[in-house]
Amino acid sequence: MIALLESLLRMLVWLLLAPLLPGIVNRVKAWVAGRRGPPVLQLYYDLARLWRKNVVLSTLASPGFIAGPAVAWVAIAGAALLLPLGPGGSGPSFRGDVLLFVYLLALARFGTAWAAMETGSAFGGMGAAREVSYAVLAEVSLITAILALSVQSGSVTLATMLAPSAGPGAVLLAAGLFAVLLAENCRVPFDDPNTHLELTMIHEVMVLDHSGPPLAAILHGAAMKLLLFAVLLTQAVLPIGQHPPFVAAGALAAGVLGVTVGVGLVESLLARFAFRRVPLLLTTAFLLCLFALLLAWKGGAA
Amino acid sequence: MTPALPLLLATLSLAAAVVLGPRWPRLWLAGTLTGAAAALGAALLVLTGGPEWEWRSAFAVGGEPLHARLDGISALFLALVSVVGAAGAAYSRGYWADDRYPVSAPSGRRWWSGLLLSLGFVLLSSNGLHFLMGWELFTVCAYFLITLDRGRRQVRSAGWLYLAAAHAGTICLFAFFATIAAETGSWELGPMHDRAALAPVFWLALIGFGVKAGVFPLHVWLPSAHANAPSHVSALLSGVALKMGIYGLVRFSGWLVLPAAAGWVVIAHGAASALLGIAFALGQNDLKRLLAYSSVENIGVVLIGLGGALLGLAQADPLHPGGPAWGRLALAGALLHVWNHGLFKSLLFFGAGSVLHATGTREMSRLGGLWRAMPWTAGLFALGAMAGAALPPLNGFVGEWLVYQGLFDAAIGRGPAAWAAMPAAIMLAMTGALALATFVKAAATVFLGAARTSAAQGAHEAGPWLRGPMLALAAACAAIGLAPVLFWPAIARAVDTWQPAWPAGAAPAPLATLGIVQVAFALLAGGAALWLWRRAHARGLRREPTWGCGFDAPSPRMQYTSGAFAAIATGWFAPVLQPERTLRRPRGPFPSRAFQLERVPEVVLERILVPLSDAVLWVSTLVRRLQHGRVQFYIVYVVAGLATLGAMVALEGNR
Repeated sequence: MIALLESLLRMLVWLLLAPLLPGIVNRVKAWVAGRRGPPVLQLYYDLARLWRKNVVLSTLASPGFIAGPAVAWVAIAGAALLLPLGPGGSGPSFRGDVLLFVYLLALARFGTAWAAMETGSAFGGMGAAREVSYAVLAEVSLITAILALSVQSGSVTLATMLAPSAGPGAVLLAAGLFAVLLAENCRVPFDDPNTHLELTMIHEVMVLDHSGPPLAAILHGAAMKLLLFAVLLTQAVLPIGQHPPFVAAGALAAGVLGVTVGVGLVESLLARFAFRRVPLLLTTAFLLCLFALLLAWKGGAA
Repeated sequence: MTPALPLLLATLSLAAAVVLGPRWPRLWLAGTLTGAAAALGAALLVLTGGPEWEWRSAFAVGGEPLHARLDGISALFLALVSVVGAAGAAYSRGYWADDRYPVSAPSGRRWWSGLLLSLGFVLLSSNGLHFLMGWELFTVCAYFLITLDRGRRQVRSAGWLYLAAAHAGTICLFAFFATIAAETGSWELGPMHDRAALAPVFWLALIGFGVKAGVFPLHVWLPSAHANAPSHVSALLSGVALKMGIYGLVRFSGWLVLPAAAGWVVIAHGAASALLGIAFALGQNDLKRLLAYSSVENIGVVLIGLGGALLGLAQADPLHPGGPAWGRLALAGALLHVWNHGLFKSLLFFGAGSVLHATGTREMSRLGGLWRAMPWTAGLFALGAMAGAALPPLNGFVGEWLVYQGLFDAAIGRGPAAWAAMPAAIMLAMTGALALATFVKAAATVFLGAARTSAAQGAHEAGPWLRGPMLALAAACAAIGLAPVLFWPAIARAVDTWQPAWPAGAAPAPLATLGIVQVAFALLAGGAALWLWRRAHARGLRREPTWGCGFDAPSPRMQYTSGAFAAIATGWFAPVLQPERTLRRPRGPFPSRAFQLERVPEVVLERILVPLSDAVLWVSTLVRRLQHGRVQFYIVYVVAGLATLGAMVALEGNR
């Protein structure tokens, strides 16, 4: 019973805090550019408004057009629930849950890409093709990073994997995971969330035809995914598990905030890369994770 | 109850089906289904903990008494044969019906039951000679099933390629069994752990069974055979017949003393098969060819697991006589994936068959928007695609989850095997992501969007004979995904048969917890989809044409095609895939036709084997000129020969 309540509470934290992150990113970007920028809570307003709106559906779309975003949203929420939240403990922690975590994120991708193909628009195909192709490299980097954590902690359970102090490859791992975070969440330099020129988009071009509550589910899911990667990155690098709860919670919050500000800074200072350079960047991320894995291997043997 | 009775029943009803099949389709269906059910019953008796069953005949066949053995491993494969065999038999009744194919449908029924019978014979026989006989029968039955529609040229050439490749593999198996028989002095098969001299024959088995399993680069026959065979045959070939190669490898790697490098070679082959197989699958434009290449990938995944188990076995010490526990985990994953792939690939081939039946084309870029005409097929194909992409909460994920855990544990163990396990895990991750791209492409291009041609517009839903087997297979996929713990005892039985030294007992991975999580997830996802659907309808839902970016005359041809969807990722594999692009740009103020064609060739076949065999043929034509039937040249040869002999004698005499 207590465990169930705890899980519910953690879920609430995920659901309620997630839309804050895009607001912070936008705030940082506005600050660097010297603008006032939208309110930090803008996404909450957007979600509330979208939830009350009508839906316009393409004549070609099947029920999968709405089921896709729903499944993707549940998959991201499920992955979030598996991820331990510092001193807040983790959900149903079991051996091998880290692989379920990775594959739930893949399922979310399947749902979004499926919905993108529903409308028969060239834009949907464009976005879905890019998303699933670049995800190949991103997922490889993610598994390599997880393998590094696994070798370093001797465990395949998320809770124990993320608990010990950072290994010798922490810096490499942080850089690699940060690049994966940018790619998986479709941020600059992989994708530009602000642009509305279809030819240059990945995520936005997939969701062009969505409206109303399904769009709200997509936007909220995207925010939750950003938070999820920020939490994963923070816990993989910072030795949070060894401190008293309050310190740990503070460190986690500070880490997530730092990552979010980092995303905003990257977005302000860097231009989006040409698509042919994206694989190069992702390969670099993979190599960073690979070196972290080799260092984890070395570190344990010494 | 011993499995003897159900096995006898299965043999008799299948034999009756072979005899009666061509004339009486209903009796045939009844006989085949009864036979499959009885065989499944026998397999389940052993898998649920019953004793192994062994039987020797008093009479001899080919000079050897029959020796049948049903243990955990053969029961596992027998169960798969019966399930897919029965589903395919029912499917063929709607798909390859007498009124459409009056000639080939009756003979197809005979070969189908014959194939099931010979597959069962291979799985049960424990005598090298009979194994080879069954193997050959199975190859021949499969050949006639592939070429049912032999009026078409592609079908004939695919069948010929299959037959040639299968026999190249059979030669290795002949050598394999003959060497064993020569060493042991008998054709009888069984554990041979005391004969270290037999270790090198494992390589023969790897090639012989590898050809049948379709391991890269021995897969050359597979794509065209599976694409051109009737779809129920493709399902049986991909889902079950390939697994016979895996059966051979699992069976004999458990019985033989293995060379030290066996695990390394198997895991490397598995990883290469998985990655390259799925890369080729992504590049295909033909729906059934794509599914065929995805089988190469899945065979690779199974071999990664088997290789992991072999590596674990090589690390055995007095404390752990079977090697570390991760070997057990990897083998369990591999064997579960044998079932999983058999089920979801048959489902997908049935789905592809329904599409082919409804539209007459396998070319994905000619289809589109089929979900409206065939919602059942679309939904079931989508489920199969999710299982094929190893997504939770379906069965494909559970098998790969176990394999991954075996690899991760091997890496954590920090033994020498970690250097194989870490690259294999990374390549498996890449395979998984590419499989997702492949199946999104396949399902979405065929079923979503707008119809690209009139053929796709005139589609109709598959009939009940086609839908029923698909529903049954989809239910099996969902059951293994949602309640994996129920299937664990069967897998454990096979694993313990393979390596009895491993401590038997509970699942080494929390399958029960995973099952609960998957069920909860499936319920939540379904609930969320329903809720969002109702929410979207709550305030009145409007239907409008797809937004065309201000363009008023959109055409279905503006949708992404299968080649366009795959172009980014196939570009990365260009050195291996060697995609062919024909591009004609629009030119001039009034441009005429412009197009871009993309095709991924059969690289191993077209770029390596065909040039190689062309060279061999060229040399043989040169040699053939020596012998062309003109008498005067033969007289010259004789005279020259005599002269040479004479010269030799003369020179010898002088010395």
